[in-house]
Amino acid sequence: MAKASAAAAAAPPALDVQKYRRFHEQMVHIREFEETCHRAFQRGGHGINGYVHVYSGEEAIAVGIIGALREDDYFLGHYRDHAYALARGTDPGAVMAEICGKATGTSKGKGGSMHICDAERGFYGGYGIVGGNVPIALGLGKAIRYRGGDQICVCFFGDGSMNQGAFHETLNMCQLYKLPVLWVVENNKYAMGTSIERSHANPDLTDRINSYAMKRECIDGQDVVKLHTRVSEIVKEMRETHEPFFLECDTYRYHGHGAADGPVTQKTYRTREEVEFWRQRDPILILERVLMEQKALSEEERDRIHQEARNAAEAALRFSDESPNPTPDELLKDVYA
Amino acid sequence: MAQLRYIDALKLALTEEMDRDDSVFIVGEEVGQYQGTLGLTGGFLQKYGPERVVDTPISEVGIIGMAIGSAMAGLRPVAEMMRMDFSLPAYDQIAQHAAKIRYMFGGQFKVPMVVRGPSGVGNQLSAQHSQSLETLFAHIPGLKVAVPATPADAKGLLKTAIRDDNPVMFLESLRMYMEKPERLEAIQPGLSEVPDDPEWMVPFGQAQVLREGTDVTLISYSTMSIACLRAANQLAEQNISAEVVDLRTLLPLDMETPLRSLKKTHRAVVVQEQWGLYGCAAEISAQLAERGFYDLDAPVQRVTGAFVPMPYSKPLEDLAYPNADDIVAAAKRTLFAQ
Ligand SMILES: Cc1ncc(C[n+]2csc(CCOP(=O)(O)OP(=O)(O)O)c2C)c(N)n1
Ligand SMILES: [Mg+2]
Repeated sequence: MAKASAAAAAAPPALDVQKYRRFHEQMVHIREFEETCHRAFQRGGHGINGYVHVYSGEEAIAVGIIGALREDDYFLGHYRDHAYALARGTDPGAVMAEICGKATGTSKGKGGSMHICDAERGFYGGYGIVGGNVPIALGLGKAIRYRGGDQICVCFFGDGSMNQGAFHETLNMCQLYKLPVLWVVENNKYAMGTSIERSHANPDLTDRINSYAMKRECIDGQDVVKLHTRVSEIVKEMRETHEPFFLECDTYRYHGHGAADGPVTQKTYRTREEVEFWRQRDPILILERVLMEQKALSEEERDRIHQEARNAAEAALRFSDESPNPTPDELLKDVYA
Repeated sequence: MAQLRYIDALKLALTEEMDRDDSVFIVGEEVGQYQGTLGLTGGFLQKYGPERVVDTPISEVGIIGMAIGSAMAGLRPVAEMMRMDFSLPAYDQIAQHAAKIRYMFGGQFKVPMVVRGPSGVGNQLSAQHSQSLETLFAHIPGLKVAVPATPADAKGLLKTAIRDDNPVMFLESLRMYMEKPERLEAIQPGLSEVPDDPEWMVPFGQAQVLREGTDVTLISYSTMSIACLRAANQLAEQNISAEVVDLRTLLPLDMETPLRSLKKTHRAVVVQEQWGLYGCAAEISAQLAERGFYDLDAPVQRVTGAFVPMPYSKPLEDLAYPNADDIVAAAKRTLFAQ
């Protein structure tokens, strides 16, 4: 069930229409990108293999939070990472090419879906080991504090990460040293096929942070207006105090955990009704409703944007398809700096 | 004899041992309600219940720790790593604790546990999910390391591992998991056959000759032993007779079988999937040189993976670990043939 949805039902005052139209476009583009990616994996033949984890249903989080960052801020995440790059403006062609293992990919085809990054834009990478990215964020926060700026670092991770020992060492140290890291748990209710209730002794993830004396909050991850408005305040405060903050985003993933988690395995842990419930709370639908109420988006525009996003995702895949594979000499490059 | 897939042979071993001994239990991620990430423990939760099939959070340190402590207290835990790569967060529990407890406490405790899971290169699983970590485990006194290549050994060695009184790292070949018996039979007749007898086991520290030959000995383990069989088939077409020695366990390590083979062929190729620097193939080659020097007609050749994190892109991945062609080329080098 949606945990944070009861809070703050009041409509926000004077909506920044330009911004939210941009966010809307980004979210739709991410959705179409992910759906294209999912289909391409299933169709085969594009060079995609191994693990592919798509973000459909969770778009408001990447867009709303990365949209609150400054150009010089840092962020990093786990393996469900395409959207972080796309939300930051990384070329979708390069992201798709990475997912397909092409030389034109963000990591020259060496990383794949789980290991997208964009150093120039402050994206310090997607990591494949659950909890593995969490301690690294501590170091990015340390570097910020060391140099004395007012940048911040955002660390995205799944609910499953919170059961790794590394997570707890890290959060303690982060509060101890007062490092400016915004910890964002994408609580999509499941770590693979294991629900929060079956894996956290205290399934209230925000409450679990009590013991670190860190500022914390749980927020509706499907409503990008609410989410972004609140995160902008949090970020502003962090730039002044340089202190960490823990944010739980209440969300849901529509597809299986990864491409291998199909309808049969999903039946072991969730119902179609539950997925349907969350599809009614779709972050794109919610934003479209708000924009349309404000007369800031027409039905024709909406349809056009969806069509453009589909075209853009297809173009990204075409770019990837037409891109060369890495050359054999790449094998031994970049092991050392 | 039944013809089985590797994964089904593993399942059979677990089933037989759980039926036989109620101190055996399984602990790991998605082993129960989800029926196993790859289906290996399908039906187990229903059959054995949640006390014996323990679903866990993503907490490898906790999983291995639970295995160690319960083993010290007399149970026989089988800890599943969804992939062996994920044992690394718990390497401290394995190498610093499980391995040392018997010695450090003067033999007062035993730690009869198994850590098992799929291992090695998959299909574009990239840098953090493609490793074959046997070198890291085989370097640690107090551990045992099993690396089955065939369905029969998957079953026979796993049963031995569960009954062993020491911590056993049991590295399964991910690429062998789903191989259909027909495909294995096409490589070599009998390769997919698994004895039915529930008391049939494969002892540790006894290598096997998977194929007999006279010109060169190919020595390996796990997936690469199957690559050696493919290479032997190719060599046979070129009138070169290769013997294939499959080590089965790396700790304990049986060097008598490869040395005996060397006396016959006078040439050896050692194959390891992961990079060679300081690896298991290096150890085996060193022992061949130390103990078999006068039997050798050519320098021992190693065929190993590239010294890089596994790249994702298929064409690069293909270059990063050995295949049958690489083994054929190395065998020919020992014969000074083109
Ligand atoms: C240390 C480790 N253990 C297990 C895995 C296998 N694994 C990959 S993702 C995943 C589930 C993670 O769920 P969560 O953190 O909630 O993120 P989500 O996929 O829901 O976004 C598991 C078990 C892993 N990658 N790393
Ligand atoms: Mg999750």
